[in-house]
Amino acid sequence: MIKIINIELYKIFKKWRTYIGFIAIAVLVPIIQVAMLIEGEQSLDFMTRNLQQSFIFVGNLLNGYLISYLILNALTIHIPFLVALVAGDLLAGEATAGTYRLLITRPVSRFKLVTSKFFAGIIYTNLLVLWLAILSLGLGIIIFSVGELIVIKTSTVIIFARGDVFWRFILAYGFAALSMSVVASLAFLFSALVENAIGPIVSTMAVIIVFVIISAIEINIFEAIQPYLFTSYMASWRLFFDDPIDFAEIAKSCLILAGHVLFFFGLAAYIFKRKDILT
Amino acid sequence: MKVLLILLIISFSLTSSFSQKKDPDKILEDVKKTFNEVKDYVVDIDIKVDVDFLKVPDSKAKIYYKQPNKVHLESESFALLPKEGLDFSPLGLLEEKYTAIYEKEDTVDGNKTAVIKVIPLEDESNVVLTTLWIDEAKHIIRRVESTPKIGGTFSIELKYDKSGTKYPLPASMLFTFKVDKMELPKGISGEYNEKESKSKDKKRSTTGKVSVTYSNYKVNNGIPDSVFEEKKK
Repeated sequence: MIKIINIELYKIFKKWRTYIGFIAIAVLVPIIQVAMLIEGEQSLDFMTRNLQQSFIFVGNLLNGYLISYLILNALTIHIPFLVALVAGDLLAGEATAGTYRLLITRPVSRFKLVTSKFFAGIIYTNLLVLWLAILSLGLGIIIFSVGELIVIKTSTVIIFARGDVFWRFILAYGFAALSMSVVASLAFLFSALVENAIGPIVSTMAVIIVFVIISAIEINIFEAIQPYLFTSYMASWRLFFDDPIDFAEIAKSCLILAGHVLFFFGLAAYIFKRKDILT
Repeated sequence: MKVLLILLIISFSLTSSFSQKKDPDKILEDVKKTFNEVKDYVVDIDIKVDVDFLKVPDSKAKIYYKQPNKVHLESESFALLPKEGLDFSPLGLLEEKYTAIYEKEDTVDGNKTAVIKVIPLEDESNVVLTTLWIDEAKHIIRRVESTPKIGGTFSIELKYDKSGTKYPLPASMLFTFKVDKMELPKGISGEYNEKESKSKDKKRSTTGKVSVTYSNYKVNNGIPDSVFEEKKK
């Protein structure tokens, strides 16, 4: 099994589109950091204006942790596209390339094949989140150093001591990896349905966009639907930056997201097993 | 505003004229004299913040003070203080023109104090009314209640035991204040798909407390002005 996963990983990383995600993050993260280096003080000043009316404060609030938090906030909405770009190609790409029939004539069961492709997709997804973590945290700490993290919510402001932040980021990136795995699983499922990779990529993004919009709008009818949309739980990494942390809510979100991963994979495996391979 | 102020002064004068036995200006002058002994100081502080909407870790900082009203807060980590709680010296307030009214005698932490109301007379003053509880025996301020033009009323309680200095400087301060709750748009807070706070408490303002413990006073050792200029960068 590990050998097949290695082969699938080799195939993934042989395609240049795989590197689009890594390159996009490698370009975008330093751009945000340089922009914050130039104008970060003004942004922070604007963010803390309400606080400044009543309080005087000192300390390095514009630090690597704050930049990483802002980047994670912004990019978790856009990374699904980079994930779908590869995960949507995993099965449908074989059909497009005309290698489907050749692939399943190998002495490996269809289930093993689909499982190894799925694991390879999940490994790619996790590597992408790890790359984001290394770049935004690593580069952020090198450029801005460490300090207390200020988290501004609609009605509360939380400032975490500098020694109380790093572990929150590790868990938050872990959670973000799980969220992105749901996206990868969904793209993988769509990939099992069609013969062209463009369809799964666009369909996955369409689902994510529609679900995210419904999750964000506070209208009664949407609020009734929201608990059933996996996108409502994808931003739960923010719960790690709360005081006290609602671990029950995080565990619930993790279970729901993991359930979606299993369901999408199970359905993809079932479809692939029964699929008529004609190309 | 001025008419209102004059009416306020007259009403205070009428209500207290019968009981007024002590000269408030003399009491305040004694306090000024006592505080004037402190030309400058540096002190280490421990800050604990207790505000409903603001969660801040306990912090350590250093306060630099130089007469008449130069103050600089310095910390290696994040430290936060209410603006009005940074400087407890009465010199800033008493440098302005004011009317003082002796109100009554009161006891604060077992110490007999004279309660004096101070009404600034200058239009530029940030304060509408300040009440001071003054320990007449030691000529120090034990409690302050102040109503600024902008913001809610705040009170400061000062304790002087174990301050480790012969000067009239406090060992601890409890700052109590009313502050408006923050409501930030979701764009700034980043909570695009987070639900509103489950809190049912929709009051616009809340009471906050900040306690400060002072230690390691270094008094009248001289502080260069550059320390305070740095703050204004």
